[in-house]
Amino acid sequence: MQKIAITGIGVVSPSGIGKRQFWANIKSGRSFIKEITRFDASLYPSRIAGQIDDLEKYSHISERLLKKIDAFSHMALVAAEMALQDAGIDIKNEDPNLVGIFLGNAIGGWLYAETELRDLYLEGREGVSPYMASAWFPAAPQGQVSIYYGIKGFSKTVVSDRASSSMALGYARKVLAKNKLNMILGGGMEAPVSPYALLCCNTYGTLSKNNKDPQAAYRPFDQNRSGFVIGEGAGIVVMESIKRAQGRGANILGLISGYGTTCDGVDRINCAGDGKELARAVKLALDDAKAAPEEIGYISLDGLAVELWDNSEIKALELVFGNNLKQIPVSCPKSMFGNLLGASGALDMIIALLAMEHNLVPPTLNLDKPAQNSLNYVAREAQEHKINKALIISRGRGGINSVLVVEKA
Amino acid sequence: MDTKSKVKDVLANLLKVKNEELKDEVTLINSIGVDSTEMVESVIALEKAFGVKLSPKEITKNSTINDIVNNIEPKLAK
Repeated sequence: MQKIAITGIGVVSPSGIGKRQFWANIKSGRSFIKEITRFDASLYPSRIAGQIDDLEKYSHISERLLKKIDAFSHMALVAAEMALQDAGIDIKNEDPNLVGIFLGNAIGGWLYAETELRDLYLEGREGVSPYMASAWFPAAPQGQVSIYYGIKGFSKTVVSDRASSSMALGYARKVLAKNKLNMILGGGMEAPVSPYALLCCNTYGTLSKNNKDPQAAYRPFDQNRSGFVIGEGAGIVVMESIKRAQGRGANILGLISGYGTTCDGVDRINCAGDGKELARAVKLALDDAKAAPEEIGYISLDGLAVELWDNSEIKALELVFGNNLKQIPVSCPKSMFGNLLGASGALDMIIALLAMEHNLVPPTLNLDKPAQNSLNYVAREAQEHKINKALIISRGRGGINSVLVVEKA
Repeated sequence: MDTKSKVKDVLANLLKVKNEELKDEVTLINSIGVDSTEMVESVIALEKAFGVKLSPKEITKNSTINDIVNNIEPKLAK
């Protein structure tokens, strides 16, 4: 299948808004996990997260629109604008019928929804904002981005837990490869730092309860791991054919060259322990990219910081990469800003693109004593390494496996 | 405060627009490009502010500020 160019990056994250600030923080290995201050979370078992407190500073959205949308749509609108600017695209010059939006989200816009549901029970039906119906659901950001720019082409929102945005990007690439559209805004967004969403995430049972030391809480692959930490944000990229990108003299930041997805099909919550289906997804992605395992210069790990998930991820990589595995630097940069659930794959891909551009592998934080020594972990500090191709792993609840391969243009 | 100023204040506050954008003789759709959901919200807010019952058929996107005032004032008198 055709490789697809990425020509613009928009990122809204706890580690920074805008790709420059984001990358400066990622490469320096700083943690942005903090105690939740947006609401009183003191009774929650896990009350730490990667939060965004200064979105307004970067926002171009009117107050009139803001009152109709949830934070996750706001983040998507800001990320989309940044991606378009980075790509040097003025949407007014595009054929709106040939522009699409492919986004991933897992939980919807709960901050808006729970406030309005409270009002429903306190004040009755007249207390509920009429925008509730269009603000909370997972495809709301797709709709808002579409309305904001007048985009009218084939678009989709993928909901598949933490694999959502990775799948949306894989799907978007397929649509572009079939020459159905000229360009796509692809990625994802998530805003789980709200009372009800945090409750649901806590009920899931695998969040770190190390509230005393937030920055040390998320420790993927470490002996003392205690589960993951949630984060909020959005990552959106501009995708187009290589031919079109070259034709308009765009700066190609990287190519999506491979995608593979499989399901474990063993449990409602857990993944399979043997890693076989994840390995198959990795192989599918490599085959799609026509890349040999030894060509991969960096692996971005899913890294849930839960023994079953971490170990099965290692097993899958051992199955595919065999003896080469020790040569390939791997890391889980989301340990710095939290797991953005449905947006995590998009953020990981953006980091992999920036890592390729700078030939610098971003670190995994808190990986002081690896539980298993079978991987070439980059921990604490970024490490220089020439990367021509990178593999990005995303996994969702119950074992949804989604793998992307990106490469230098 | 007269009814007209109050109507403008309620709508401007609710829809986050400036009072000056709400013209006496221009329809809401033509002055501020109001959408149907904003109209639902506007009717409820005006009902609360004036303590009257208004129907979505009486106040629409095609109402001007004067139309709205003319609708509310007779109800206030009762």
